[in-house]
Amino acid sequence: MEVIELPIEVLKEAIWNVNQLDAAMMQRLRVSIGKYGLVQNLVVRKVVNDYEVLSGNHRLKLLRELDVKKVPCAIVDVNDAQARLLAQALNHVHGDDDLGLRAELIREVMNVLPEDEVLAILPDTMDGLKGMASMGQETLAGYLQNWEKARAIRLRNLIFKLTQEQLQTVEAAINYILPEAKRQQGISPNARGTALYLICKSFVGKENGHDN
Amino acid sequence: MTSIRPNQIMVTGSNSSAALHDLRLIPISRVDAKTLIVRNHYSHSLPGGTKMSFGVILNNRLLGVMTFGVGPFYGYKLVNDATPDDVVTLTRLWLSDELPRNSESKVLGVALRSLKRDTSLKFVLAYSDPAAGHLGIIYQATNWLYTGLSTATPLYDIGDGTLHHSRSLAHQLGSHSIRYLTLQGINAKAVPQSAKHRYIYFLDESWHSRLAIPVLPYPKEDREMNGSH
Repeated sequence: MEVIELPIEVLKEAIWNVNQLDAAMMQRLRVSIGKYGLVQNLVVRKVVNDYEVLSGNHRLKLLRELDVKKVPCAIVDVNDAQARLLAQALNHVHGDDDLGLRAELIREVMNVLPEDEVLAILPDTMDGLKGMASMGQETLAGYLQNWEKARAIRLRNLIFKLTQEQLQTVEAAINYILPEAKRQQGISPNARGTALYLICKSFVGKENGHDN
Repeated sequence: MTSIRPNQIMVTGSNSSAALHDLRLIPISRVDAKTLIVRNHYSHSLPGGTKMSFGVILNNRLLGVMTFGVGPFYGYKLVNDATPDDVVTLTRLWLSDELPRNSESKVLGVALRSLKRDTSLKFVLAYSDPAAGHLGIIYQATNWLYTGLSTATPLYDIGDGTLHHSRSLAHQLGSHSIRYLTLQGINAKAVPQSAKHRYIYFLDESWHSRLAIPVLPYPKEDREMNGSH
């Protein structure tokens, strides 16, 4: 295998390339190449008078955009089947990040670089990155005590399954009492829940002979 | 890393008591827990209703996951006068075989002591699937009470090539009632599942006397029961 710089006009995308990048990921690659340059050689093979790109088809598109004249390429001598196999191997044979080590690494990066710069290159969301960076920063006791407090104040779900006909009736009843519920909801942030409560309270009161 | 069965005590990896001492249990996000469980746990799935997710850290590496969730809908009824808020179910436990021997007992012990100290939970449930060759050895090693085989919840076949959990079917179609689904023109069938070994651990020992079902001897491997080894 040899590595040489080839004129960009002799490089051709592999028509059988199955790897796709959506617009957002392409933009991240664009930012990365713009910032760091082409840090990985393309992998190509000679086909008649041109070179077919086995690895780096997306990078090739961006290099054309950037009007790059010469591209460093690793040239391999392989047949059609081996070319496809190598392309698959280059795309799919890789490790998985250890999430604990990644959390530490992301923390170090985010301590130094601005969030926008990190998000422009990595395919994570800000929430995801912040969540990752916070791994291991909260004590077990603190987490459980917060969990305990949260569940003490959480509003409770009560799930009903209704037919369309039943739902219409329930909705009509809730909407009927909703203005009153909004006046009476107190600390509850849920007016519809309060409306249902008032309907039930009224029913129970009547059943017990009280006038509500 | 390789997947281990959740009820087996580790027998591989280094046997360093120093490494065991260095293990840390930390809270992690549900997303990170799911990533590791899907990647490594034999079930390759994290059930809905996860309430707490913990990671097992050794030398800054995340090498294990433990999740607690709602578990079976009526699990709380195993204990008299309990409510759903009194219980969580240990839903997944995966540890890398890079961790030292007895790591499972260690992290389970830390988790149970923390739940006892920092929450008002009263008991924890755990299940082991004999159909997958699991007896619940880790629960036996950490002194859980064995309460026999649980009533198996069926999965549901609605003809789409996937067996659905009742909770996911109810979420998707509004109900898992065979009668209701049949009336709606859906050819739904309940597919029986094997019963699972059920263990219970009381965080509040004063609740032990409320257990509504008998405690049974721990199940053993057939070869032990048959005295063939």
